[in-house]
Amino acid sequence: MTIAEGAKFVAAAYAIILAVLVIYYFMSARRVNTLKRDVELLEQEVQRRQPAAGESGD
Amino acid sequence: MSGWRQFMAILRKDLIRELRTREMIISMILFVLLAMVIFHYAFAVKEDVDLTYFTGGMLWVTFIFAMLLGLNRSFAQEKDERCLDGLLLCPVDRVTIFFAKTAGNLIFLLIIQVVAVPVFTLFFVQRGYGADIVLFVVVLLLADMGICALGTLLATISMNTRSRDLLLPIIFLPLIVPLLIAATAATTTIFATGASFGATATRLLFLLGFDAVFMVAAYGTYDFAIGE
Amino acid sequence: MKKLVSAPVLFAAAGVLLVTGLLLAFLYSPIDASTMGYSQKIFYYHAPIAETALLAFGISFVAAIMYLRSQNDKWDRLGVVSIRLGLLFSILVMATGMIWGKAAWGTWWDWEPRLTTFLLVCFLYTAYFVLRSVVEEEQRRATFAAVFAIIAFIDVPITFFATRFLPAGMHPTVITASGTGMPGSMFFPFFISMIGMTLLLVALIRRDLVVEELRDRVADLKHSIGG
Repeated sequence: MTIAEGAKFVAAAYAIILAVLVIYYFMSARRVNTLKRDVELLEQEVQRRQPAAGESGD
Repeated sequence: MSGWRQFMAILRKDLIRELRTREMIISMILFVLLAMVIFHYAFAVKEDVDLTYFTGGMLWVTFIFAMLLGLNRSFAQEKDERCLDGLLLCPVDRVTIFFAKTAGNLIFLLIIQVVAVPVFTLFFVQRGYGADIVLFVVVLLLADMGICALGTLLATISMNTRSRDLLLPIIFLPLIVPLLIAATAATTTIFATGASFGATATRLLFLLGFDAVFMVAAYGTYDFAIGE
Repeated sequence: MKKLVSAPVLFAAAGVLLVTGLLLAFLYSPIDASTMGYSQKIFYYHAPIAETALLAFGISFVAAIMYLRSQNDKWDRLGVVSIRLGLLFSILVMATGMIWGKAAWGTWWDWEPRLTTFLLVCFLYTAYFVLRSVVEEEQRRATFAAVFAIIAFIDVPITFFATRFLPAGMHPTVITASGTGMPGSMFFPFFISMIGMTLLLVALIRRDLVVEELRDRVADLKHSIGG
């Protein structure tokens, strides 16, 4: 196998590694933001319902 | 009641229950025999094909799947009849339950094998292996112990989940592969070339080690597996 | 945990090391003299990823034991996160291993010990998630998962040993470049990448732990609203 042919495989391997890791990194970053927003919204909702229920919240 | 007597009591209960109906054992035996017929047709691509080097594989794959059937059956029964709940109310050491159940499953598996191996020999094994029968029995016992110990632990877990019998093969099979490799290699060697002790020694030691390791692991975790 | 080193710093450090390792691998290390030739360069990330995957599973083993001892949910979260990442890295090991195999031996698959072990590892730890998915009650789910994680991790070296030494009529293992007889010019880039991958794992674990904590928080809040 020549160097040129070998290089194609090497490039493919590293490309896959890079792609998977980068995609996972951004997916988890996005998940953090989405969840943080959800927590904020839900906490506001809990606050809102507290006085109406007349008991201290969780 | 001492640990030993508790162990014997539970073991006796399981054995009597099964021997009264014999449902599980008969099903397992039928399964194993049918599997052999299926194997013949699966591999009979050519006339007079020699399956000598496939014997170990066929035998152990069959036993492992038969054991999965048996485990599902016996634990499902326990769960449905709430035997286990009753048992847990007694001051029994959880680990005693584990050993008793493993022993029970081991006995069932051995019963199946006593029937299956001669038939298997008739169907597939060309070479007389009379001289190696002791070695073969050793392989059988060691592999059986590993299958039953791991199987009992995992079946205890899977029975307490939503998709009981579907889960067991998924969690059991990847774990049992090393044992399968060792048992298959040892058995094939015995059937094909009549191995001396030396040739199978590595695999026997491995099986022994496998059994020891997972017995200890099950001993340590069974309290958690059986839940409340 | 390590509050001293924040996640962005870890990611940056990992990135720097990985890029350095990559550059060294291609510009500094010699081309392998064996029949593998240029394709051996895959090793410089393949091996670190493999060892990092095993490290992740090792972490899950410790986390499982700690959970069973303390019943503290944070260990369960660590278990889930480390196994998920270990699984991700294992899939990468298999992908790069297969590509390397195609380049070096001409076939996409070979039943050699390393590939086979990682294949089984993938099945094993996928089963972990299947198990989790069929247990509804939280504490029981975490307990069963911990038991399985312990058994699974014990099985990994056993599986490697079995695939390597036991099968009848095995052909000799082929890959030699990852042995200890590695010249310094090859070891150094590998070592740098190894540290980089480990740091990357730690950074991803920390980030994913935050995700899991937030998820649990959301579930709790929803419960207190709707429940």
